Amino acid sequence: MFASGLLGGLGHCSGMCGPIVATYSLNLRASAAPPLSQAYLPHLLYNTGRITTYSSIGGIMGLTGSFAGVVQAIEKFQNITMAGIGALMILMGFAASGWFSFGRKRENPSGLPAKVGSAVNRIISFISETHSAGSFYVIGMATGFIPCGLLYTAYIAAAGSGAGTNSQIEGFLKGMLMLFLFGIGTAPSLFLIGRLAAFKSNWIRKRLYLLSSFFMIMIGAMLIYRSFSD
Amino acid sequence: MRLIIVIVLLGCLFLLAHAQVCGATDIPDCSIDLGPCFKTAGGQEVMFDILPKPIKMMKELIFTVRAAGNHSAATVFLDLSMPGMYMGINEVILKKTPDGSYRGKGIIPRCPSGRKLWRAEVTIPGAGKVSYIFNVSK
Repeated sequence: MFASGLLGGLGHCSGMCGPIVATYSLNLRASAAPPLSQAYLPHLLYNTGRITTYSSIGGIMGLTGSFAGVVQAIEKFQNITMAGIGALMILMGFAASGWFSFGRKRENPSGLPAKVGSAVNRIISFISETHSAGSFYVIGMATGFIPCGLLYTAYIAAAGSGAGTNSQIEGFLKGMLMLFLFGIGTAPSLFLIGRLAAFKSNWIRKRLYLLSSFFMIMIGAMLIYRSFSD
Repeated sequence: MRLIIVIVLLGCLFLLAHAQVCGATDIPDCSIDLGPCFKTAGGQEVMFDILPKPIKMMKELIFTVRAAGNHSAATVFLDLSMPGMYMGINEVILKKTPDGSYRGKGIIPRCPSGRKLWRAEVTIPGAGKVSYIFNVSK
């Protein structure tokens, strides 16, 4: 399972989840925190969050011995999560571009349009300026719910191994371990993408903000489209 | 310059993950929704079928393989993969049934990219391998 995750991480995960990782990484801001935690902690927490979700669902697959049943139960939630992440990426794309300027610096902001614009700006600022380390763990957990063919194959294996065990606890532990190893395998490529994107985030913002904004918005729109087309 | 390359590579990876990769083996050669498919392996005809029809992704399916001639193997292996995109290892073990065919249960997962082309590679111990490429419509 680790090898499957590693192989999948190189192409599949980098292409599919890499843009999400790059999006939050580009919005990392410099702080007074020690360089090590600033550099590595967000990505560590993001990947830990992802692996937490994978392992939990893998455990449930192993416990029940049923892939189709569990997937059917979480399918709607997966689509909602994917749409939510897509919307988040679009907002972060707009925030990075600086195109949104509703309610900003008006002399006497009043009336509903100005209030709405101001509220939108506050939401965008809150989303794009991620300060809490824990938020990366939550983002990672949410990302773990995004539908993915490679992940489904791993879940099928977990469900199959669970079905062949003598006890539900054994099935749960087996499924959990399989997806844990799979998740660990996918982590290096996404970790690398996150580090590369964050390394020069200020440089990118100054010079390539339009390109990166467009990229984020495009990926976000695609995620939303997919969540409704499934 | 390095970061431009990273962004371009990332974009290419994303597009590759979603794009259809064209190649000689990517053309479907089996209309599995219409009935069983037949090919030759080791000089013998091998029948491959999936039930129930229409074949649906994310649902439990019954895979059947029947090879002409007497085969002593107790099991036959079926590898499900997606041409052009690595989807992990999805192996179905087919066990010999009293009527001489090999049968097993498996699942074809859905790829959110929308791709529907799949390859089933059948390995019959002592006889060889044969692949069937088909579209799963749902």
